[in-house]
Amino acid sequence: MARIGIYVCHCGHNIAGTIDVKGVANYAASLPGVAVARDYKYMCSDPGQDLIKNDIRDHQLDRIIVAACSPSLHEATFRNATAQGGLNAYYFQMVNVREHDAWVHSDKAAATEKAKDLVRAAVYRVKLHKPLERRRVPIRPEVLVVGGGIAGIHASLSLAAAGKQVYLVEREPTIGGHMAQFDKTFPTLDCAACILTPKMTAVRANPNITLWTLSEVVKVEGFVGSYQVTVRHKPRYIIDDLCVGCLECVEACVFKEPRFSDEFNVGLGKRKPVYMPFPQAVPQLVLIDPETCIEFKTGKCKKTCVEACAERNAIDFTQKERLETIEVGSIILSTGFEVFDPHRIPYYGYGVYPNVYTALEVERLVNAAGPTGGEVVLRDGRKPKRVGIVHCVGSRDEHTNRYCSRVCCMYSLKLAHLVKEHTDAEIFNCYIDMRTPGKTFEEFYNRVGEEGVNFVRGKVADVYPDGDGSLVMQVEDTLLGIVRKIPVDMVVLAVGLEAHRDADAVRRMFNITCASEGFFVERHPKLAPVNTFTDGIFLAGCCQGPKDIPDTVAQAGAAAMEAAALIDKGYVELEPMTASVNEEECSGCKTCIPMCPYSAISQKADVKKAFINEVLCKGCGTCVAACPSGSIKQNLFEDEEIFEEIEGVLAYA
Amino acid sequence: MASTAAQCQLDSVSGMTLDNILQFPEGHRILSCIQCGVCAGTCPYGDVMEYPPRKIIAMLRAGMVEKVFHSESLLNCVACYACMTKCPRDIRLTDILLPLMKEQALMHLPELPAELQKALQNTLRYGNPMGESSRKRAAWVKNAPVPVPIMNEIRRPVDVLWFVECYTSYYPRGQDTARATARLLHAIGADFAILGNEEKCAGECGRLTWEPGLFETLTDYNMAVFQKYQFNRMVASCPHSYNAFQRRYIPLGFTWPVDPVMAYLAYQIEKLKPLLTRKLNYKVTYHDSCCLGRFNDLYDEPRALLKAIPGVKLVEMVHNRMNSICCGGGGGGMWLDTYFKAKGHERLSERRVKEAVATGADVLAVSCPYEVSRFEDALKVLGFDKKMVVRDVTELLDEALEEQP
Repeated sequence: MARIGIYVCHCGHNIAGTIDVKGVANYAASLPGVAVARDYKYMCSDPGQDLIKNDIRDHQLDRIIVAACSPSLHEATFRNATAQGGLNAYYFQMVNVREHDAWVHSDKAAATEKAKDLVRAAVYRVKLHKPLERRRVPIRPEVLVVGGGIAGIHASLSLAAAGKQVYLVEREPTIGGHMAQFDKTFPTLDCAACILTPKMTAVRANPNITLWTLSEVVKVEGFVGSYQVTVRHKPRYIIDDLCVGCLECVEACVFKEPRFSDEFNVGLGKRKPVYMPFPQAVPQLVLIDPETCIEFKTGKCKKTCVEACAERNAIDFTQKERLETIEVGSIILSTGFEVFDPHRIPYYGYGVYPNVYTALEVERLVNAAGPTGGEVVLRDGRKPKRVGIVHCVGSRDEHTNRYCSRVCCMYSLKLAHLVKEHTDAEIFNCYIDMRTPGKTFEEFYNRVGEEGVNFVRGKVADVYPDGDGSLVMQVEDTLLGIVRKIPVDMVVLAVGLEAHRDADAVRRMFNITCASEGFFVERHPKLAPVNTFTDGIFLAGCCQGPKDIPDTVAQAGAAAMEAAALIDKGYVELEPMTASVNEEECSGCKTCIPMCPYSAISQKADVKKAFINEVLCKGCGTCVAACPSGSIKQNLFEDEEIFEEIEGVLAYA
Repeated sequence: MASTAAQCQLDSVSGMTLDNILQFPEGHRILSCIQCGVCAGTCPYGDVMEYPPRKIIAMLRAGMVEKVFHSESLLNCVACYACMTKCPRDIRLTDILLPLMKEQALMHLPELPAELQKALQNTLRYGNPMGESSRKRAAWVKNAPVPVPIMNEIRRPVDVLWFVECYTSYYPRGQDTARATARLLHAIGADFAILGNEEKCAGECGRLTWEPGLFETLTDYNMAVFQKYQFNRMVASCPHSYNAFQRRYIPLGFTWPVDPVMAYLAYQIEKLKPLLTRKLNYKVTYHDSCCLGRFNDLYDEPRALLKAIPGVKLVEMVHNRMNSICCGGGGGGMWLDTYFKAKGHERLSERRVKEAVATGADVLAVSCPYEVSRFEDALKVLGFDKKMVVRDVTELLDEALEEQP
């Protein structure tokens, strides 16, 4: 006969407010095999855990049940308490009477009956639990960081500072990301380049960081501690080690004037086929764009660039794409965001009226290194006298993105300040709600107001030309209760932040999850904000959701710390609820192999039987259910345990 | 787009109070309104309404229901779907919330605007708002260039039942559209017939204007007529009736697939194209009717038809597609011109033709029978009638059609 201890948690009012916890404990005491049944205010507290440990000793308990919250919160806590009391940690079963019961029911009597049913099910099944041991897997000390914006840069530098080896992989020809395109940063108005570029050069200089630009991850295999990652290096047509970044080839290019859309300046400037993305690019290497280079298009270019490079001989038109596979123990994803494409809101006239700009375009216009040398001028060269800033473009809208992009109010205030400073124009910020919830943000709002910027509370409904070359912003001023038709020379669309267009492909490759809006999902919104549901893969920056630079840097630091902690511990313990194959019964039909979402199953070549790699198995149970001969079993979810649990829940008193 | 079940529930609500508005999912959504004002900002009459939609929602939420009901603001609602299309919370203003409020507002008026009252009475008595005899509804057929079969005469099943509607049947310029449509249907070899004098107004405007009772009388009548005959699909000349059939009639047992003429023709453009042999050297601008465009996303179909005409150069107005400006005829606006004028409000049809003329086009193409008369009037009033003509898209297609024996 088992000797079971049962503990019913009040969780303050969370559970006890709906369920008669004493009644459940009393009922549990009457069940066969139950030696001790108690209720307690907070089982997860130290005294709560001590109850378990002491009872194991005093009452010679051999199985423990806690009826409390979700196992995802405190199963580990109570397994530890069980182990500290001297039992195998898996002689424990958790019953979720909070999320599954108290929180979702209002009928107290019925909720209490349900709690009794759930506890009884646990009593039936826990008797069959077997002792299990956690396995340890060693962690490789290298970390892969994917994406070289400020998040990836900061995470890489933090890890490198702790002596860890980092591979930083960036798809673009330079690191820096969106932050490199910004002029000043809110609310302090530090110059973005001044604070970013030292970190960029530090990445390049750090011996612990291997920086790969023009590279992307194409395949990920393995598991926490030992990931095999394949990286595709795209050709730069420049030999990294030979190029000194002197730009003589750019000067010498057969195109005397730059004439191709310049990506860094979001199309507002021009570049040549051979170019440096921007003056402070890291690495300081030029690249050749095969889409526009005459040599690639016709093979008949005079190649004045090669001439100019002379004995340095850094130009190589024959470079090919190449793949490289590396081994890392953990991965930080910092793949960033995309700005909302305002073509999707036709009534703001982006792409139709030349003087409608995105905020990112205006960042480049106000920047001294931008296409106009920091002059805020319209496409026809005029200086705008009146500028409208439209908030919430592609945010807070059922037709585009439902979420608030978090940074647009603040960057719109910043742009209002900067454009006013550059042009002395009259500025109109049209907003729905002004969101300035950050350290010294509200003070900045106040300052911009005092500078004379006009704030109009209302979502802009229409932008159209008024016939004499300027534009009209039509908006209800909801505070005045009138519809205003505000004539302006320039309209700035405060575009929101969106998940990267290939976020879904990335999440499949790294086997993590995306929420409906496309951002990667953290393991817990409060308590595990940089972890994912896949061990050893961490998140930093806007790939997890829109955020500003301080939050991004904080998150990048946290992700780096998580990765470093794994490395320093040296191993991970794996939960033992894995599946295994009974080789005698397995017919080798291979049904299970393609079913496994973790690629953990293969066929043993010699005996032609399925084999499950315990390290890769996450215990999802798919193969167990799929096996036609029932020859796969899963620890903690063996058929007998589940059948007993069902018997238990259905055995009404 | 619309949730039909919710509409029917709301249609049947009587004695409007805040509580029963909130009872239904579509009404409940007003609680999610963020008071951004995009509805008022985009409303063609937003600057003259005492209470624009945003404020009405704020007042409803504050319990000021009576004040809303006693305001004339909602008489300005021309049911153009502009506010609903841009609402970031997707609140069903135009087709659900505002008609409910408007009905109440009209009931509280000391006197209904005479023109509107007359139109509604006519519709009830004669089945059309002009007050023409129902026996003359199919009179246009006599002058039709091709045979137009009438259901109760041919007594056989047809593929297409063509619902002609009031303006297309009675109004002289509407009859031009009817004749053009008949020739096009004939040209593409459609097996079609009309209801003739048995047809009555589908009732959409009545519903969006006032008096759900009037709408029910018409729906009951029309459903009974439809059920007498066998046909595979319905094609509707008037986008308003298309809306009614597609959304309001379904719960009453209307099961036939239905298309507006524009879409029906556009789906058969490959058949139609070889027949469009006459070159029309027109510069055309197309006005998106609210019902086809914003409410049904049919922006490309009429444009595809126009582009299929040899020689036609299509230009766009500043406000086009989902940002189009209403002709002012919807939601009863058709019969409120005198009322608007008395209030000193600009006629929307005039606002619209100014944009049309500014494109430099010589033809304003339309797809809703209300628009022909409204825009022709507006062009005359503004003195633009020498510069620009109004043509239904079907009329232009018809003109481009090869000569028939």
